[in-house]
Amino acid sequence: MKKKLTPIFGIAIVFALLLCACGGMAVGKSAADESSDSDIVEPAEVVAEPVTITFWHTYNEISPENEMLMNTLIPLFEAEHPNIKVESLPVAYEDFRTKLFTSISGGVAPDLARIDIIWTPELADMGALASIDEEMSDFADYMDLLFAGPLATNFWNGHYYGLPLDTNTKLWFYNKALYDSAGITAPASVDEMLDQCQMLKAANPDVYYFATDGTWAWVVLPWIWSFGGDITDVEVTTATGYLNGAQTVAAFEFLKELYDQGCIAPVIMGSGIDTFAGYGQDVYASLDNGPWTFPIVESQFPDKEISISPFPAGAGGSINVVGGENIVLFQQSENKEAAMEFLRFVLSKKYQEKMAEVGQLPVRVDLIESDFIKNHEYYGMFLEQLKTSKSRTAHPKWSQMDEIITNAGQLILRNEKSAQEALDEAAAQIDELLK
Amino acid sequence: MIDAMKSKILKNLTPYLFILPGFAFLLFWIVFPMIKAFQISLFEWNVMPNSSSIFLGIQNYVRAAKDSLFWLAVKNSFFYALATVIGQLFLGLLVAIILDRIAHGKIFFRTLYYLPVVTSWVVCSLLFKFIFNSSPAGLVNYVLVKSLHLLPKPVTWLNEPGTAFIALYALGIWKGIGWTMVIFLAAIQAIPEDLHQAALVDGANEWQYARKITIPLLIPTIVLTSIMLTIGAFQTYIPIALITRGNPIHRTEVILSYMYEQAFSNRDFGYGSALSYILILIVFTISQIQMKFKKEENQLY
Amino acid sequence: MKKIFKYCINQVAFYLVLIFFALITAAPFLYMIGTSFKGQSFIFEYPPKFIPDQPTLRNFIVAWTSRRFDKFFLNSVVVTLCSTISVVFLSSLMAYGFSRFQFRLKGFLNGSIRIFMMMPAMTLIIPQFILASKLDLINTLPGVILVYIAQNIPLCVFLLTGFMQQLPRELEEAAEIDGASPWEIYRTIIMPLSKPALATIAIFSSLGAWDEYVWAMTILNDPEKRTLPVGIAAFHGQYLTDWGVVFAASLIAITPIILLFIFMQKYFIKGIMAGSLKG
Repeated sequence: MKKKLTPIFGIAIVFALLLCACGGMAVGKSAADESSDSDIVEPAEVVAEPVTITFWHTYNEISPENEMLMNTLIPLFEAEHPNIKVESLPVAYEDFRTKLFTSISGGVAPDLARIDIIWTPELADMGALASIDEEMSDFADYMDLLFAGPLATNFWNGHYYGLPLDTNTKLWFYNKALYDSAGITAPASVDEMLDQCQMLKAANPDVYYFATDGTWAWVVLPWIWSFGGDITDVEVTTATGYLNGAQTVAAFEFLKELYDQGCIAPVIMGSGIDTFAGYGQDVYASLDNGPWTFPIVESQFPDKEISISPFPAGAGGSINVVGGENIVLFQQSENKEAAMEFLRFVLSKKYQEKMAEVGQLPVRVDLIESDFIKNHEYYGMFLEQLKTSKSRTAHPKWSQMDEIITNAGQLILRNEKSAQEALDEAAAQIDELLK
Repeated sequence: MIDAMKSKILKNLTPYLFILPGFAFLLFWIVFPMIKAFQISLFEWNVMPNSSSIFLGIQNYVRAAKDSLFWLAVKNSFFYALATVIGQLFLGLLVAIILDRIAHGKIFFRTLYYLPVVTSWVVCSLLFKFIFNSSPAGLVNYVLVKSLHLLPKPVTWLNEPGTAFIALYALGIWKGIGWTMVIFLAAIQAIPEDLHQAALVDGANEWQYARKITIPLLIPTIVLTSIMLTIGAFQTYIPIALITRGNPIHRTEVILSYMYEQAFSNRDFGYGSALSYILILIVFTISQIQMKFKKEENQLY
Repeated sequence: MKKIFKYCINQVAFYLVLIFFALITAAPFLYMIGTSFKGQSFIFEYPPKFIPDQPTLRNFIVAWTSRRFDKFFLNSVVVTLCSTISVVFLSSLMAYGFSRFQFRLKGFLNGSIRIFMMMPAMTLIIPQFILASKLDLINTLPGVILVYIAQNIPLCVFLLTGFMQQLPRELEEAAEIDGASPWEIYRTIIMPLSKPALATIAIFSSLGAWDEYVWAMTILNDPEKRTLPVGIAAFHGQYLTDWGVVFAASLIAITPIILLFIFMQKYFIKGIMAGSLKG
């Protein structure tokens, strides 16, 4: 009798040991606690019990921004708030939405996230975000402290679902050596581009005048707006008459002309040499990109000279896209008070200043007017461009709208449909989404 | 008496004690998810926890039937299976037949051909994405244009569905030749060497021998291998996810990549689960054919 | 004389074909090795070169240090060891049960194992994810391991049952007469005799765990918890892929498997052929 039971015990014990060993090894290897106790400035007032908050962001894993966050700012915050530990998680931009949705569906959303401003309505609409204006007692103070434009991107259905963290836009980046070799200067207007491209190709047959990595809205919107077109009406009720309006059609026809003449690198169709790699290796002469171009290109191609100018103007002026990130608090967070403490920290002068040192444009009114920003080698031009830049459509279905625009661009450049035809269909599809 | 009964119960119980721990895993992580997936597929599943979902019945399945992008993905999976299965069978067979006939270096070649099989899909996919780069400096472009002069100008491989699939087929075949080779080699070595000698004495050359003797004898192996490869091909996901991401315009999507995209990017778990069930159905159907062949084969020998 | 001549011609032709295929097989690997020693400015150099002009170890250093690749490596080792040991243990128990006992549900259980064998692993990813989140397993290595175990058990049970059925029974019968319990028979007789088959399934399941990407990518969020395939795929970025680092990391990841393969070819080939049985 006793003997016959041995298998059960044997199995049970080995099995339990096995799982414990696996679990233990997995947990035991987490990073050593790095906070030093000597730096404690004041006892935490906000939370009595020690808590850990999770903060997801899209700072590139090996970037100066992430280093600043991990090595300077979070330790600073943790020293000021001994009871709060911040677990910071970099997530790749293209995986971010997917990762967020899966975590939300599993009830394990982070406490805070730094998200692309354009995702705010979608997350707010699905009920994932806490409304900051109700949660934060001192919310009103931030209304005056922060720029109105970036702040407005957090507004959805009567509430604010986050606060702006940084803002940006894109400029025309060009390779001065290549431009000089062709005897051209940065284009002030889109009308110069075709001629410039031919001159450049005459001097350097293997070089592409311009490179961009797709036809998504972020890429095509500057062209649409600068040509005087748009995606929808101001109230976001219809795309017909806007996305398929004469100016938008003209913008896409112009891009197609550039592409057909070999002025735009094939990477716009999906693959090829990455834009920054091509820029660094003198294959692409110009890019339309944001301030992060500086740290990325400088780290990979230390000797490369980087020149910038405003986005070339069209009939509608020189209009680029407002980018940037918001910081949002999740409904599922169990440590909202502690999380909001960190939220206040990222909007503090200290944090915004430090991040400005590594390429992030601050959103605080008092900082934009500071000498650091004014005397900065390139922030001035970005701020100038921001004056005319416009925001993408704030709508929960923006990701689907973006895909429709991307596909229309592909159909046009592939010569499968005329610009008018492709955009008529795209406008109809977006109208369907907006119903 | 009671002891005897106890011992009898225990004796009846013994096999279950051995099977239970492992089976519990399967119940938990396979059976339960299978039921759950079916349930999800009948709803417009709300990803927010603790919120209600709308019951749709079979509407997700009807939607799949009408979804032209899904049909394109099915078609792409089908052609992927066709191309890679034929490629792996033909080249694996060729290499196996030759390998069986050479005097020296058999182990060297076998080991080398087998390397892609043991290399992870993630690494192989990224490697092929890199060598099929659209620029003139991409390895494949350079070799075909400059070294061999087979193409007039560089091809933008991954930007067009047609050429992107050539790259994907090439990867599938390249990675699989070693595997079919090993299977065929084992089958060829089971053929008595006397047959070869006799054929040569009768004046047959190697090609005639392979065509008239080896290949006919390998038919059952070829059929079974091709079914296994087909089932495997329908489950391809990693190369698509890492090389084309379904671009351009979802034209290089296969069943699983489209399922993953619907479920996790569009957060439509209901539709994604319905697509999963359709794939399970396809794979089971092919497996049934395999079973049938296996039975016939057993009857033959 | 003519015969020998014909033989030689044949051999030459054979070797030419084999060398052609060897080149096609090896070229991507060699190019990967070459690229892993190139600096960023030489990645898309024209013409492409297999042997870099100015080789550098930078990519290996970046891969190993700044991207916490040492952690990925350790995670992969933990995941692979834990899941393989569990799979071998659990499936050998089950196979012993199936091959040595008659019981009422045998046919049913055996049949369901066959069906599970054919389930494409990825199709259950949605409910498995929901289940893992209910159990608080998201973003944990045990969450990865548990699913790998379940994925690999069916085929291993199937293969081991077949193997054990063919083992001679004389030893067991003798042991039974001496009063040995089934557990003792399993432990002292069946397991030692099954070593070759156990090696095969161990290799099959460890290769699977070492290479698995989709499940790990779906449930792991924290970069520190990534396994090798997830870590390598993460190097491949949106704006700028540092191909040198990608391939340096890839080489680090595939080297142990390739070395193991070269020394244990026999078991490997069996293990992978076994894998193919999974429909």
